[in-house]
Amino acid sequence: MKKIIAVIFSLLAFIFILPIAATVFFSFTDEGSFTLQGYADLLFDCFIFYPAFWNSVFYAAAITLIQLPVIILCAFGFSQSKFKGKSALFVFYIVLMMMPLQVTILPNYIGLRDMNLINTPWSIVLPMIFSPFGVVVMNQYMKSIDGSLIEAARLETSSVFRVIITSAIPQIRVCIFAVVLFVFADCWNMLEQPMLFLKDESLTTLSVFIANSAQYTGAVLFPAAVIFLIPVLILYLFFNENLEKGLTLGELS
Amino acid sequence: MKNRKTKKHLSWNAKCMLCLIPSLLGTAVFFAFPYLRVLYYSLIDNQFRRNFVWLDNYIETLQNKYFLLALKNSLLLIIIAVPVLIILALLVSLVLSYGIRWVRKTRFAFVLPMVIPTASIVVIWRSVFNIGNFAEYSPLPIYFLFIWKNIGICIVLLTAALTSIEGNIYNAAKLDGANSFTLHTKITIPMIMPTVFFTVLLSIVNSFKIFKESYLFYGTNYPPDHSYTLQYYMNNNFLKLDYQSLASSAVLTSILVFGIVMAGMAIQRRYGK
Repeated sequence: MKKIIAVIFSLLAFIFILPIAATVFFSFTDEGSFTLQGYADLLFDCFIFYPAFWNSVFYAAAITLIQLPVIILCAFGFSQSKFKGKSALFVFYIVLMMMPLQVTILPNYIGLRDMNLINTPWSIVLPMIFSPFGVVVMNQYMKSIDGSLIEAARLETSSVFRVIITSAIPQIRVCIFAVVLFVFADCWNMLEQPMLFLKDESLTTLSVFIANSAQYTGAVLFPAAVIFLIPVLILYLFFNENLEKGLTLGELS
Repeated sequence: MKNRKTKKHLSWNAKCMLCLIPSLLGTAVFFAFPYLRVLYYSLIDNQFRRNFVWLDNYIETLQNKYFLLALKNSLLLIIIAVPVLIILALLVSLVLSYGIRWVRKTRFAFVLPMVIPTASIVVIWRSVFNIGNFAEYSPLPIYFLFIWKNIGICIVLLTAALTSIEGNIYNAAKLDGANSFTLHTKITIPMIMPTVFFTVLLSIVNSFKIFKESYLFYGTNYPPDHSYTLQYYMNNNFLKLDYQSLASSAVLTSILVFGIVMAGMAIQRRYGK
């Protein structure tokens, strides 16, 4: 029985990893033989690739780094304060988290348009900073932390920031790592926002580049796909141990 | 100086409420207030005349054959792909948590896809499923892509729930003579039921988010009929800047998702504990 399960599992795991492995494999081959031509075409002849790559890095890093303090503050505030309508407000965040992009992108667009931010890097960064996922996850996680440590920190200082830094952040470290991985991967994967909010090619991202890459010369598609997945892969190798511990989302109410 | 003094007198509760402000402000500016504008757009005839036509846009949308096709395809994805996803994720999580050590090493193969950017993977997807024009006749490639991409988060959440079950419960049950099958059906499954509910809810909601995958796969705004989902309908109206159709379909979709989330939470509250 155990052997059968082991065989079925290795097969299943193999199928799941196959698309990634095949992408890497095809990036190095051309009609069956090994070649680096695709990478050469991409890195030396495809000038839009570099700005697209760095734009992707910039957007994803900026969103992740600015989002963190916002959601840590918000989740801490949620867990420590008591006010009327708090649970309704949290349900609002959950519902917002569940909304598909096609519902939220029009409000995003209208907000950005009114502030004249369309076709600027801010149109990508600003709305994503306030995506509700991190708030929901971190607030759920805050429920499980040791309240007495917060109480103890409060005796030392009356500053909320000091309490958060000295006693809350050390306790929610795994959750922060999990959220960083998730938010970064999500931003890195963005497609609709750069497609709809940006017009200048110089501002575009790698995902849009790949979506349009049929128009570029050479077999740059597979190499671009491989380079595109390297940053998230590195982040995954660093942080994936924290996923199970950091994302406790079972019970919402 | 005076300001500082009042700040010092703020209670802890008030200070903590102030912590919510950055997030609330951003949410209001980019999501909540513009959503009200969307609601307004859905009730007027056009951007310039701004006459109230109330539900006319909604009636038009609900009669639009592309909207109905899109709605049907979106619901089919929920009915077919979500159960397969959940059952597979549940089986994998159980084996990963209780199986032999070597099998646990395969975890990364299931979890990794969730962080892999869609644009990277869709290239290979296209070359595989375009064999024999398979993708022209069937939405299955998109279903597979959906399951491949979403199984990771389900497994992470389910495994987290499984590992939080105390070993003592099992030991007590074993002393009472329970075999491993009853252990799982009587203890494991009921204990992780809230999380199962949550993953079902999350997967339904994520099935509404499949546009990116489908768009990159077909590389066009007009995929074959069987894969034309709500997201295409809205995206295409976005490109046409047809605010009225867009606004009314956005509001309808948000009501649908809101209903699903509320129903899910109500079920969880009732049966989950």
